[in-house]
Amino acid sequence: MSSPGELKLSGWEVGETRKLPGMDVKKIGKDLYEIFIGPQHPGSGHMRIIVRLDGDVMVEVDPDLGYVHRTMEKLAEGRSFIKVIPLVERMAILDACNITLPYVEAVEKLMDIEPPERAKYLRVLLCEINRIASHLYGMGIFGVFLGHSTMYMWPFGDREVFVELAERLTGARLTHSYPVPGGVRRDVPEGFTDDLRKAVRYMRKRLEEYRKIFLDNPVIRARLEGVGVIPRNLAIELGIVGPNLRASGVEYDVRMVEPYEAYGELDFEVPVFEEGDALARAWVRVEEIKQSLRILEQVADKLDKMPREGFMHDKFWAKAPKLYKDVYSREGRVKLMPLFANLKVPAGKAFARAEAGRGEIVYYVESEGKFTPYRVRVVSPSFRNAIVFKYIAPGHRLMDLPAIYGSIDYFPPEADR
Amino acid sequence: MSLDAVRSRAEEALRGVYTGVEEGKGFVAFRVPAERVVEAAEALKSAGFDHVKSVTAVDRPKEGVIEVTYHVSSYSDPELARGIVGITVSLPRDNPRMPSLSRIWVSAEFQEREVFEFFGVVFEGHPDLRPILLIPPLAEKHPLRKDFIVKEEQVYKGGITKLEQPP
Amino acid sequence: MAGVVDTIISWIFWPPLFQLVIAPGLVAALAIVIFILWFERKTAARVQMRVGPYNVSPRLGGALQLIADLIRYSFQEPIIPKTVDTAAFILAPLAMLVISVVPTAAIPVSPLPWTWPIPMEHSLLVALALTTLSPVFLVAAGWASNNKFSVIGSTREAFMVTAYELVFIISLLAVAAPVHSYNLVEIVEAQAGWRMFAILNPLAFLAAFIAILMSTSGFPFEIPESEHEVVAGPFTEYSGLLYGIDMGAAYIKRYVMSVLLTIAFLGGWKPLDPQPGAGLLAGYIAPLVVVLVKATIVMAVMSFFRAVYGRYRLDQAVDLAWRVILPMALAGYALGLIYGYLGVI
Repeated sequence: MSSPGELKLSGWEVGETRKLPGMDVKKIGKDLYEIFIGPQHPGSGHMRIIVRLDGDVMVEVDPDLGYVHRTMEKLAEGRSFIKVIPLVERMAILDACNITLPYVEAVEKLMDIEPPERAKYLRVLLCEINRIASHLYGMGIFGVFLGHSTMYMWPFGDREVFVELAERLTGARLTHSYPVPGGVRRDVPEGFTDDLRKAVRYMRKRLEEYRKIFLDNPVIRARLEGVGVIPRNLAIELGIVGPNLRASGVEYDVRMVEPYEAYGELDFEVPVFEEGDALARAWVRVEEIKQSLRILEQVADKLDKMPREGFMHDKFWAKAPKLYKDVYSREGRVKLMPLFANLKVPAGKAFARAEAGRGEIVYYVESEGKFTPYRVRVVSPSFRNAIVFKYIAPGHRLMDLPAIYGSIDYFPPEADR
Repeated sequence: MSLDAVRSRAEEALRGVYTGVEEGKGFVAFRVPAERVVEAAEALKSAGFDHVKSVTAVDRPKEGVIEVTYHVSSYSDPELARGIVGITVSLPRDNPRMPSLSRIWVSAEFQEREVFEFFGVVFEGHPDLRPILLIPPLAEKHPLRKDFIVKEEQVYKGGITKLEQPP
Repeated sequence: MAGVVDTIISWIFWPPLFQLVIAPGLVAALAIVIFILWFERKTAARVQMRVGPYNVSPRLGGALQLIADLIRYSFQEPIIPKTVDTAAFILAPLAMLVISVVPTAAIPVSPLPWTWPIPMEHSLLVALALTTLSPVFLVAAGWASNNKFSVIGSTREAFMVTAYELVFIISLLAVAAPVHSYNLVEIVEAQAGWRMFAILNPLAFLAAFIAILMSTSGFPFEIPESEHEVVAGPFTEYSGLLYGIDMGAAYIKRYVMSVLLTIAFLGGWKPLDPQPGAGLLAGYIAPLVVVLVKATIVMAVMSFFRAVYGRYRLDQAVDLAWRVILPMALAGYALGLIYGYLGVI
């Protein structure tokens, strides 16, 4: 956070144009009306946006981040490797599996192990459930920012279906902590795949209704068409991620570019739109939910066919006490193994990434061979998307700010870590 | 396998500039001296690496350096998109300064501000270098350095003190 | 004894007092607004897969929830910040409430002359003129709050006034032309059976309906108080009873304008036809009830939009009003002139 009076643009005169890579920026300034869309504001989330207005047109927009900063990178240096998983999960508990998965993959790369086949499919299962829930949350917040209360209630109600599925799978509604180095924590319960198929059918019907009430609604289309346009070269230059990038015509999805887990064997498409405005971003999210439903069906079929064992790497499973294996073969449930309490990871540097609901999340883990990591660096998708406020919002009217904010699906706790 | 193609193209672009190569798990990092980092960045940009994924700083007090690594990749080039290339710069710990790469890669702008406030690395030529996540009094202490110890709260062991009456 | 009762009844039902304070004035306004608020919340909830107000009176479907809310607002402490202009801050919502109710004095509810509060010769013009008074108090409330968000909300309301004012006046004048008079009683008398002006002149009816939505912050034009850019628009700094009045004032204004719309377009008290010798019940109360029922139906239709539409942007709403709705109102007016020329009615 910083005090707004010091927003110096280093000797930039009014009317002077400067060149940045891929764009020209010109300073406009006269009598500017400065308002703080601050933390206590219904339309701001946990952040402050400092807006300078010239009448109704925004001239400068300065995102003031850091209200939910929880010092995760510093805390991670003092905790054992397995305890970092619930720590980084708190960044965005909506898609908890997507957020913790790259960290677990980085630790696995350092230990040079790979999870068994069934564990990979289980991870993909939870990742896609989380992705659907996260997109529905984003669309709900987007609807309420535009004043459309039905679009707020419906996605949150439909999200319950998927959150309950996740609860049956992992035991917690939102904070799953499901992937662990070597595999996953639990296997699917009985009858899970049938409920999964029912949920997929239900969601397909509901997406049709969303289209009718929101995406084809003339008022919403008037609010969103042509608002917050990010042209393709600017999208690449600013380095934005996720559905915002795919709505601007760049076909980039980490699941296709560098397939991780079981994505290389699954059949799905990546929706790409050309216009780059807020409506395209909403459409990309709806299409991605459809693709996730497709993936879920394939995973459900695969899991039914695979034998029900081997969700944890042998390195750990072989050393588990006999009681564990007995309980598991009798009742199908298992707890976290005590081996993880003093997990020693060999020295090295690893880099891993995954496609979370909001975009690409990136981890850099460095270990010295001790029980705690030396450095954990995480760059979350919302932090990389924050630059949209500074460069895309100026020039629009004040009432476009919620439309832009909701369309890039900015999530402050994720950005602030 | 695909990382080799990325590595060879990056090596070709950075010929003569880098002083060492390090292959980590999942990325390739080239060591570059601080004076030539702008040249290396421009070379990589024209080779097709068009955005920065992360600006990472690691504090190594034993060697007395702070290492800043820019992990870059490509959106527009499908071959380069598969791999991640890093540029590592070693800066002396008591006065870490380096030229800012946000003129070349705009995507690094906010992340350089973050490295500035957490580690104290000054990026010369940055358009707007001020703390982004922390409040200025805390940012001056550069929290992520290894010598910033987070003090645990103590348990209050005293009794209830009576308020002193003003004279 | 009968004389005392008669005197009291004649005092209560003295038209100026009755129409302004009891019905269709303040008391009826509050009752109908409370019903409409409950209806709006309940229908929005049903559309949104929720239940809506439920706990306060489960057997009535939660209908007393609004009374509970009103009691809550009355007992809440109104906090008046030090930095506001106190007199304007307190008086603006009260004035808005009172001024919103005043047009009911110019609206007849029965064709019998002893029920008119004021001479009804130019009542259409009088009623229209009185409805234009209230926006200035909303702007005053926002200005008095000394808060940047309130000022932005007031500015938006001022912009919206330029959008809807003209449309509403022109579309209501479109019913005066076929009847060749500004007398609301004659306008109602000319609409017998199915010859309501809503069916004969749908353009003007639609324009007036949309103008009512624009003027009273109905979706999709809920712009001055939109919650997500300006916290509550001109009412950001209000709390307690003043806040309750502010939230209700928009609905009361909507009610009054709906009554005017009913009289002008939906045939008022038709199909009832009180004869000159009718007593209090058949001559005054019955047509009043018919008018109120029709006005409630109009307001209920407006409540449905809440669940379906988002919010327009300010410049889009003003653009829509001037480019689409105003030509529609002018076309309706021209249609009314044609009816008047050809002597159709």
